[in-house]
Amino acid sequence: MRIVIANGNNGADYIIKSFKGRQHQLTIINDDRDVAHKLARNSKLPVVFGDATKVTTLQEAHIDGADIFIALGFRDTDNYVACQHARKQFGVKKCICIVQNPKNVAIFKELGLESVICSTESLVSSVLAESSLEALTKTMSFENDKIVMSEIVIKSNYAVANKRIMDINFPKEGSIACVYRRPRVIIPNGQTLILPKDKLFVLSTPSEQKSLIAFVQRASKK
Amino acid sequence: MKRSAVLKNKTIIVGCSSLGATITNKFSTEGKNLMVIDKNPKNFERLSDRFSGFTITGDVSDQEVLEEAGIASCSEIVIVTNDDNLNLFVAHIARKIYNVPNIYIRLTEPDNEVLIKGMDIKAIYPLELSYDKFNVLRGGRK
Repeated sequence: MRIVIANGNNGADYIIKSFKGRQHQLTIINDDRDVAHKLARNSKLPVVFGDATKVTTLQEAHIDGADIFIALGFRDTDNYVACQHARKQFGVKKCICIVQNPKNVAIFKELGLESVICSTESLVSSVLAESSLEALTKTMSFENDKIVMSEIVIKSNYAVANKRIMDINFPKEGSIACVYRRPRVIIPNGQTLILPKDKLFVLSTPSEQKSLIAFVQRASKK
Repeated sequence: MKRSAVLKNKTIIVGCSSLGATITNKFSTEGKNLMVIDKNPKNFERLSDRFSGFTITGDVSDQEVLEEAGIASCSEIVIVTNDDNLNLFVAHIARKIYNVPNIYIRLTEPDNEVLIKGMDIKAIYPLELSYDKFNVLRGGRK
């Protein structure tokens, strides 16, 4: 793959090391003379010194038709413009834009950049994922967080344990997509019996997720 | 909401650079409803005594600052900071997220024109304009 790495300092160094020699062709652009020298020295690859938000620099770096363009600069708006040029003028297939301001993730996506990464946002998401894991659930999200899948392990004291799905009155806001009972994967229907130690995979919208998890985990009355 | 209800004939000027301040001062004499944004409050000293609009100190790369300035209901936005990339970003937000009726942007780099193509954003190139004027003054001699 042809990968272009625009700006960044230690992050760029790390990415270059990770991709180098794995049959990837790397193009490095940096607007800081000292960093450009350092990257060239460490990677033994040619580095284009220049402003990656300028068309002339991108032409000089021959990024036409590259597979991936990664903008690692510390200013969000510079990364934005660099990615837009790469995409619109040079036909780069995939642009990855790094941002500092978490609010820019959604905005950049709305403005047409499909891959936007923010370390603060990733940190928050992983902390949130960890905290729901504590409640014995794991979460996966799809379609930009519009759909979530919760993984819930059934305990013997749960009200839904040892009951058929048709009898538990499962809320219509969600759906039990799958039941995992070692070593079998069961695609459930109304007759399916939920047993302790089963893993339920529940699909829902994020707003309903909490109440559905609470529904499954509520203890039986006895 | 009807569009007529949204338009309050407000103009937002982003960047109180010399160009931004000049435009604002001229607009002030026309009795326009003005809102000027700059991240450095010292730049507001460029505004004339006649200026009776509002100023906001803030970084427009943060969408909340634009919201606070009322981008959702303005009739025109004039984006004239000294930073092409910031200007392009704000212009794209103004068009794609808020669909501001009239968008003007200052650009230094003619190569950036391609990023506003087909978006109904009007660009001013102060450096090119100065050069053209200069060329006229010297009678177009080569």
